[in-house]
Amino acid sequence: MADTPSVLVIGGGSTGCGIARDLAMRGLDVTLVEKGNLTHGTTGRMHGLLHSGGRYAVSDQASARECIQETRVLEEIASHCVEETGGLFVKRPEDTEEYFERKLRGCDECDIPTEVLSGREARQREPYLAKDIDKAITVPDGAIDPFRLCVANAVSAENHGARIETHAEVTDLLVEAGEVVGVEVRHQSGKGTRSHGAAGTIEEIEADYVVNATGAWAGQIGEMAGVDIEVRPSKGVMTVMNVRQVDTVINRCKPKGNADIIVPHETTAILGTTDAEVDDPEDYPEEQWEVDLMIDELSKLVPKLQSARTIRSYWGVRPLYEPPGSGTTDSEDITRDFFLLDHAERDGLPGMTSIVGGKFTTYRMMAEDISDHVCAKLGVSATCRTADVALPGSKNYRVLEDAMDDYGLTSPIAKRSTQRLGSRAEEVLSITDPNPVVCGCEGVTRAELQDAIGQAGTDLNAVRIRTRASMGNCQGGFCTHAMAQELHPEYDAAQSYAALDELYQERWKGQRHALWGEQLSQAMLTYALHATTMNRDSDPVDREEAIDFSAFDDGGDAATGTDTRTTAADGGAHGD
Amino acid sequence: MSDAESPPDDDVPSVPDDEIPDGDEFEPVQVFPDNELDLREGADDCYKCSTCDTNCPVAEVDDDFPGPKFQGPEQWRLKQKDDHDVDDSIMDCSNCMRCDNACPSDVPLSQMHNEARGEYVDQQMDKLSVEYWRNRVLANYRISAWFASKVPRLANAVMGNSLVRQVGEKVFGVTAEREFPEFAQQTFRQWWAERGGPQVRSEDKRVAYFHGCYANYNTPEVAKAMVRVFEHFGYQIAVPDQGCSGTPMYANGMLDDARRDAKLNIKEFSELVEEGYDVVCSCTSCSMSLRQEYPELFSFEGTAEVSASTYEAVEYLRIHEDLNDAISAASVDGPDLAYHAPCHARNQGLDRQAVELFRDLDGVGIEDVGESCSGISGTYGWKAEKYDKSMAIGEEMFEHMDEAEGETGMTECPTCAMQMEHGSGYEIRHPLELLEDALVAA
Repeated sequence: MADTPSVLVIGGGSTGCGIARDLAMRGLDVTLVEKGNLTHGTTGRMHGLLHSGGRYAVSDQASARECIQETRVLEEIASHCVEETGGLFVKRPEDTEEYFERKLRGCDECDIPTEVLSGREARQREPYLAKDIDKAITVPDGAIDPFRLCVANAVSAENHGARIETHAEVTDLLVEAGEVVGVEVRHQSGKGTRSHGAAGTIEEIEADYVVNATGAWAGQIGEMAGVDIEVRPSKGVMTVMNVRQVDTVINRCKPKGNADIIVPHETTAILGTTDAEVDDPEDYPEEQWEVDLMIDELSKLVPKLQSARTIRSYWGVRPLYEPPGSGTTDSEDITRDFFLLDHAERDGLPGMTSIVGGKFTTYRMMAEDISDHVCAKLGVSATCRTADVALPGSKNYRVLEDAMDDYGLTSPIAKRSTQRLGSRAEEVLSITDPNPVVCGCEGVTRAELQDAIGQAGTDLNAVRIRTRASMGNCQGGFCTHAMAQELHPEYDAAQSYAALDELYQERWKGQRHALWGEQLSQAMLTYALHATTMNRDSDPVDREEAIDFSAFDDGGDAATGTDTRTTAADGGAHGD
Repeated sequence: MSDAESPPDDDVPSVPDDEIPDGDEFEPVQVFPDNELDLREGADDCYKCSTCDTNCPVAEVDDDFPGPKFQGPEQWRLKQKDDHDVDDSIMDCSNCMRCDNACPSDVPLSQMHNEARGEYVDQQMDKLSVEYWRNRVLANYRISAWFASKVPRLANAVMGNSLVRQVGEKVFGVTAEREFPEFAQQTFRQWWAERGGPQVRSEDKRVAYFHGCYANYNTPEVAKAMVRVFEHFGYQIAVPDQGCSGTPMYANGMLDDARRDAKLNIKEFSELVEEGYDVVCSCTSCSMSLRQEYPELFSFEGTAEVSASTYEAVEYLRIHEDLNDAISAASVDGPDLAYHAPCHARNQGLDRQAVELFRDLDGVGIEDVGESCSGISGTYGWKAEKYDKSMAIGEEMFEHMDEAEGETGMTECPTCAMQMEHGSGYEIRHPLELLEDALVAA
């Protein structure tokens, strides 16, 4: 093994996982470290659009061509992550005819197939479109599950010998003789899958080459070695609707603007987005007016959104970058192209390259570019195979779909489960009997949860992104505790509780921005249920001081003052 | 009417008038193809609380039944375009509609179930299967009853034959456990024609009677009681042409059949409503259908007007007449009654009216036998594979009937009456018959 070059990839988003897969398939010894769970940063906070390139067909044709090319690749290698919904660019009366024509011409120039629909035809396809939509252009946009895609890349990398460490934050870059030779990481709960309550450890990982794929966080990594990486993080809001008002991606046909896209995503529809530069990718204001803007603006395309239920909102941070001196002031105008920053050439610091900018749809192409670069640096000659070899779960998925068994599940549950698992369905769904539905909103069964726990340990957020459990309309109100229960007995009660708290906090974070109408009622019901049935509002086990139960009237004989009872009524402490 | 959209009908615009902006030229575009209805948004109202599941009589006796929350909001939310697989458990729903009443949040559960069932039957059920044709015949009871009414004695003899029933179960999947209801020698409509139609004329008190199939072909005494009681209070009665209310058709997913009969009913009754008539039913499932399911499933001209003008017969009199006073002044000579409120009466808020009314009537005792479902749910309990489930649901009602003082049953619903009779052996009466005894016959 000593002669196999080793590469350390920092960042478990789509780019990092794509790079890890690519390099591992080329035979390199790859380690990927990520400070949260996979997709924790930007990837897990995107809108789920698989770009046909139509959005960039006027402003950035190079990106548009890459998008259509990569969309075709992902439809093949990641069929279980992609829903080929198709997309529409719809023109309202106030949008210019000229731009509509430019869009059409631009798509044509980039080989993006289009068709022009009348307003009436567009409404026949999507009945809830506004009645005053003039016309529309069809494009091959799609929906993609970034979680599933990222996890599939990581699993593929592991299958090719890579080591994937989540909850492993890089605390320092190891620099020897002016060259990056590795990183120091802090494992939140030791090496391997997460286990709440396990002690943290520090590890130094040496590597022949380090790839900084941390996107909006790239500057923070650069600082550790004294190099300056001017990422310009830009936040955007996404609002999740409870049901799919549309089954096609709906874009507004006008030049750049906020709130101009609706993406059908699994059981939901996601409204997006805004574009505003922020200083810190982890600390920026999440404001209600941004959510209101989504609903108000997009109601002009789909009026029903005005009264429909919103289940949560989240913000993502784009890792925008432009070479020093470009001087763009509006973050919307910064290119979506990606940049390889070889720190040897740029800063005189060999051993590390950063990748910044870019977009989700072309993650594989970016990974291919940087893998080529790394291989050249290390003198490895191996070609990229990631465009030709299907990701785990995707292989022959379409052929399998028709022949799939229902595994004793009701039809929509079997359908959704097999769509999530792809060709892994049989392997996963047939192992647990009985196999009850744990998350009713998204139709997730125990078998899928157990499979995900096998991959992710006690990290229930990592289980969530693999399965969609707790991502439906009750936002975990009826299943988070049942998910935590699945950790037992492999993990103990205290670990299960800690995992539950963490998942529930994450669910609450996004739901805070949807607290009106139905979702407010939902949150109140969840609160009441959790408080009354699980004591979650003031669980005695979470108190620092023990309650003096003996100070309470035990219901014994009040007249004589005799204590006749001995049974503890508090249920004891965790683990009793 | 639920929050979900009205469906379009063949020749009716899919966009409600009040949603067309001023100045917008009307564009009658059929956006939902083939009468398909998108009910995903109905899931917005669901908080997952499961109150519907705990009120579902089928889920109570059948652990394999996923329950109304799954059948309704969850299934619809999980569905996607071009994803037509409705779970076959939808056929185990009995359409009692208790979930509608149980829901604290106005989820259009029964509408979702009706639509899902319609879609399942239309797209997934084998049209050549015995089950399909058995269900189709049961759902279109009116057609069989019409034939039988031409030769009622022969029909009764044949259907009463145990060998015929055995063959019916083996070949056709209709349980041999139950005795077929007898067909009347003279239908209500024949009687009505023979007596020359309405005997009372009034300018301001007019009701159009929706008798439904059962009171016409099987229990004309209930329909006659309705006529006599309403005429006693000075109402002019119209008995227009009519088909089935649609209840058994929804319950079997035969929405095209239901649409066919609804079209006739709405046409006939909406004309009378326009002339100032209110619509009165003697069967609580018929009134339920006209009131709730018609506007949920159809949008023929006049649907909303018929729906808003429909009442159950005793309910109508309680609103417009001083029925309590009349009853308090009257008396009858027994027998004591064990009263069961049909689920569909419960959904219309009528579950206590018979008991509240007749407890003031001298000479008869009346007891409510509790909140349980009778279990037959129209055609449901007639299906061989559902019979045991139907009887298990009815068990609680049978026990309570047994414990009640009275040894005569009472209910508004004809199939609940069949179940009550089947489980207890009691004779079952309709409230209108008792009203007739108390107010008209005296």
